[in-house]
Amino acid sequence: MKILEIKELRKAYPGFLLDNVSFDVEEGSIMGFIGRNGAGKTTTIKSILNLVHADGGTVLFEGQDIWANETACKKRIGLVLGEFNYYKRKKLKAITAVTKAFYEEWDEDRYQKLLRRFSLDPEKKVSELSQGMRVKFALALALSHNAKLLILDEPTSGLDPVSRDELLDIFRDIIQDGEHSILFSTHIISDLEKCADYITYIKGGRILASTDADSFKDAYRLVSGEAEQLEQYRPDMIGYRAHAFGFTGLMRREDAEAAEGLKIAPADMESIMIYTEKEDGHESAAE
Amino acid sequence: MKALLNKEFKLCLHPTVFIYLGLVLMLLIPSYPYLVSCFFVCNAIFFIFQTSRENGDAMYTAMLPVSKAQAVRARVRFVVLIQAIDLLLMAGMCAFALVAMDVEKGNAGGTDHSLSLLAFALVLFAIFNLIFLPSYYKTGYKAGSAFLKGAIGVWIWLMLVEGLMIASGAMAGNESVPAFFRFIAENIDRMPIKAQDPAKAWTVQGILFGAALLIYAVCTLLAAKISVKRYERVDVQ
Repeated sequence: MKILEIKELRKAYPGFLLDNVSFDVEEGSIMGFIGRNGAGKTTTIKSILNLVHADGGTVLFEGQDIWANETACKKRIGLVLGEFNYYKRKKLKAITAVTKAFYEEWDEDRYQKLLRRFSLDPEKKVSELSQGMRVKFALALALSHNAKLLILDEPTSGLDPVSRDELLDIFRDIIQDGEHSILFSTHIISDLEKCADYITYIKGGRILASTDADSFKDAYRLVSGEAEQLEQYRPDMIGYRAHAFGFTGLMRREDAEAAEGLKIAPADMESIMIYTEKEDGHESAAE
Repeated sequence: MKALLNKEFKLCLHPTVFIYLGLVLMLLIPSYPYLVSCFFVCNAIFFIFQTSRENGDAMYTAMLPVSKAQAVRARVRFVVLIQAIDLLLMAGMCAFALVAMDVEKGNAGGTDHSLSLLAFALVLFAIFNLIFLPSYYKTGYKAGSAFLKGAIGVWIWLMLVEGLMIASGAMAGNESVPAFFRFIAENIDRMPIKAQDPAKAWTVQGILFGAALLIYAVCTLLAAKISVKRYERVDVQ
């Protein structure tokens, strides 16, 4: 069952267009939303929740029009837009006291456990927290009202590797019951390799792919070859990097399998993104 | 709405609001244009909007399970509450002036301690709300320019009213001036119980206050409606 359906979402800014973005999030899954800085990840997330006024499209949460049922839908969604950067001179306990009044399903026990797990001191002011601790505070708030869907924009940015791993464990715990889901935007691709069931890839405001993580990776191959083979295979490559001994690049699986004399290896998400994003399709080590 | 108002009190209430509300004590200054104290309350409201903006209140609120319309309406109610408190304090000061000041001579600097003063204050707040709120919510962040526009409207009203009251008071004893000014001096710009005809003064000022209340309600509701409509189009960044 689809918990979130985004259909032809449009938002035009001078110099940027979120162009008919469509994808779904399945119940009980983690959707990784990837793309480089400025690709439209945050604009998409903000448009989903009406923080940004979309020019067109529809967003359904549990089958309901999210914009027409904003209050009810937002109660069942946990949102984290990076670190908690609001009311920096207020104590965490003051902000929590205000925030929890908005949620009937606020789970104080869970919140207290998260505070301990994240080593957050409620007596501290937001300004006294490091960037990573502010992210943790935002996560503690978002995870404490029994949200059916968590929408997290760059939640792992600024966190140390141990905290990131811990967080990914929490994410896996959350979706284990099959009823909760996570939409998780990031450019730290290694995090998604560890936990994402599905991947949506956005580039320049357009969705390039939205599929399960294995199919996403399986659609591509990393190839490498000699310098004299480059001209022959250049048109088939999505992106490549030339170096003194030849080249390495990314091809669609069917093109890679049809190519002769190239070394072929499975593609990881990071390589797919890096080669896809190369502006003119290639980069030479000599350049 | 209760949770939103709680947020306004706990997170958005700027300490200067108490200081500026305290300036209602200006009503005890002899010969002074008392409506100026209301301008300071407008100033306090501006501080709430400005510090909320600096604290990222728009984004924080947008992330909560509330619509933009609810967020605007809660802020408008908060503004109305502050203005209502000021009005009550002004009423209290007018009563206190009876024992603390020599009210027999009236106020040579502007409107007397009267129901009219409260009516003029209500219209002043109505003007401020109608200009400031929709202007602010057009962008969701330009508090300074919205306040400047609101302040211009407030000061035009303030100078017109206080000027008229000063002029009426000054000409009251002169039989050759138009009856209009004498009517103001005797029935509007006068503490009702100190008027020549208290019953008439109460009636006139009661009607004036009722009309002002209506103007305030209409202007503030209109301001809220326009603000909601404008803020719906704003992208919270």
